[in-house]
Amino acid sequence: MTIITTISRIAGLFGACLMAATGALLTYEVIARYFFVKPTIWAAELSQLCLIWGCLLAMAWVLSIRRHITVNAVTNLLPPGAQTVCVAVSLLVLIVFSGVAAIYGWGIFHDSFDRGRTTGSLLNLPSWVAELSVPVGFTLLAAQAVVELIGLRRAHLPSLGRSHE
Amino acid sequence: MTVLLILLCLFALLLVGVPVAFALGGLGLGMLIFGGFSPLMVPQAILSTLDGFILLAVPLFLLMSNILLKGGVGRDLFTAVQAWVGHWPGGLAVATILSCGLFAAISGSSVATAATIGTVAIPEMVKRGYGKRFVYGLLAAGGTLGILIPPSIPMIVFGFVAEESVIALFLAGIGPGLFLVSLFVIFAMLHARFGGGYTPVPAAKWGERLSATQRALPSLALAILIVTGLYSGAFTPTEAAAVGFTAALLITIFWLRTLTWSAYWAAVRESAITTAAILLIVAGAKVFGKAIALYRIPQDISAFIAANIEGPLIFILLVSAVLLLMGLVFEALSMILIMTPVLLPAAIGLGFDPIWFGIFMVIMVECALITPPVGLNLYVIQAVARVSLGEVARGVWPFLALMIITVGVLYAWPDLALYIPFKW
Repeated sequence: MTIITTISRIAGLFGACLMAATGALLTYEVIARYFFVKPTIWAAELSQLCLIWGCLLAMAWVLSIRRHITVNAVTNLLPPGAQTVCVAVSLLVLIVFSGVAAIYGWGIFHDSFDRGRTTGSLLNLPSWVAELSVPVGFTLLAAQAVVELIGLRRAHLPSLGRSHE
Repeated sequence: MTVLLILLCLFALLLVGVPVAFALGGLGLGMLIFGGFSPLMVPQAILSTLDGFILLAVPLFLLMSNILLKGGVGRDLFTAVQAWVGHWPGGLAVATILSCGLFAAISGSSVATAATIGTVAIPEMVKRGYGKRFVYGLLAAGGTLGILIPPSIPMIVFGFVAEESVIALFLAGIGPGLFLVSLFVIFAMLHARFGGGYTPVPAAKWGERLSATQRALPSLALAILIVTGLYSGAFTPTEAAAVGFTAALLITIFWLRTLTWSAYWAAVRESAITTAAILLIVAGAKVFGKAIALYRIPQDISAFIAANIEGPLIFILLVSAVLLLMGLVFEALSMILIMTPVLLPAAIGLGFDPIWFGIFMVIMVECALITPPVGLNLYVIQAVARVSLGEVARGVWPFLALMIITVGVLYAWPDLALYIPFKW
């Protein structure tokens, strides 16, 4: 189980680097357009790819450090036993949603991969490069949620996240 | 009946503590399956959300504000503004508000604004004998300017959901933002004049003013660069965010020399966490939005409003009341994401400009940021000042009243928001 949490953390930190990389890519795009009068065909598309992968890779890590945004106003008033039940219910919702997203997301990826579909943009990347992030990210999230669910037997967890960001 | 049932399910999921993103997405998925639609729409909606070029501005504006925050830009801004206005009646309070307004112009988030200025202004104001409640209320409310004065992450999200121009929204935020800053300044000066109890600050010497201004100059230049770049069409909001991020790095590394490697890495991590949390809610809301559209719920609500609510004033009063109530327990972006698809068609039907409606929503969301028990800025000031939530919450009421007054003025005079983007 700690292996899954470690993978989530590494994936999350890699996702964070991808998001920061978008800043460099898009600044280069602005410089290329205004100073070299030669806009790139890759900066915008690669930045979007970084954001998709960055966000979806970070989801499981954000869960493991309890930073998903939740409404805690009511659960804060409950006794610890009831809080645990609420967290368990929340994790089950998360597992079902992630499972469905991962399975159907895999279908989309597989279909694009089989047919050799491309984005149709100037860079014309294979579509599956972005689409693969959904099954990968949500499988990791579902696995992390299972780890958290099993961990509930050992330690009390008042909430899955914060009321704000 | 269906609408009520869906709302009931949504509130139940949220209040049980299901993360907002998965409560919205999960309910949307349930509705799709129940209605006989394919769950394939779930990954499609997630992908199409994250693929939005405009949403790239979210991590970049967050990175920019976090880097400026870690680089100690707040202190420089506050010191510079204080050097100019600190000796006025209530001068430190005025300097605090103006610093919040200036930092808001280089930050898209209220948290960053409240935390950055709060860290430097609270100890200074308390030391000078300002009432603690007033100080906490001022900082909590001043921080909310972060999302009204452009750039603004809630405006990006509203623009994305409503399919409206983010640049127009940014420009429309300037008028009400300056108006609210003026109201806060007038209130602070009146409070100082009649409330008293503080030690006045002596006027700074010209040399001090100039050296403090010189240190704050790059941050001010960054604010001007972003606004003029957007206004002139030189950058898209996403490019402005990228340039802002790079400029923030250059300012804090080479000019101020305050950004360490560990502070930079902390800013990257923090921005990634917030981005993932925010954009997943946007994706969840997209799934939910698709589901309610298939059930024709926005149309039903529009028809209900058209049949039962007479005139735009009653509509705005009702929506304001609902948003204020929601704001007691809901976080800002969730409110925008849940309510925009439901209310916007009705608002347009009643003749409201969608950009105006976006600014109205943002001001109402600002109120949500300072209303207990769940008010993001209350938590920030609580953490910065290390005091109880109650003490902070008691100080915000006059500022909340000023925000409501701003909504009233905005209703009576829509050009307060619409003049700069459309008539200037």
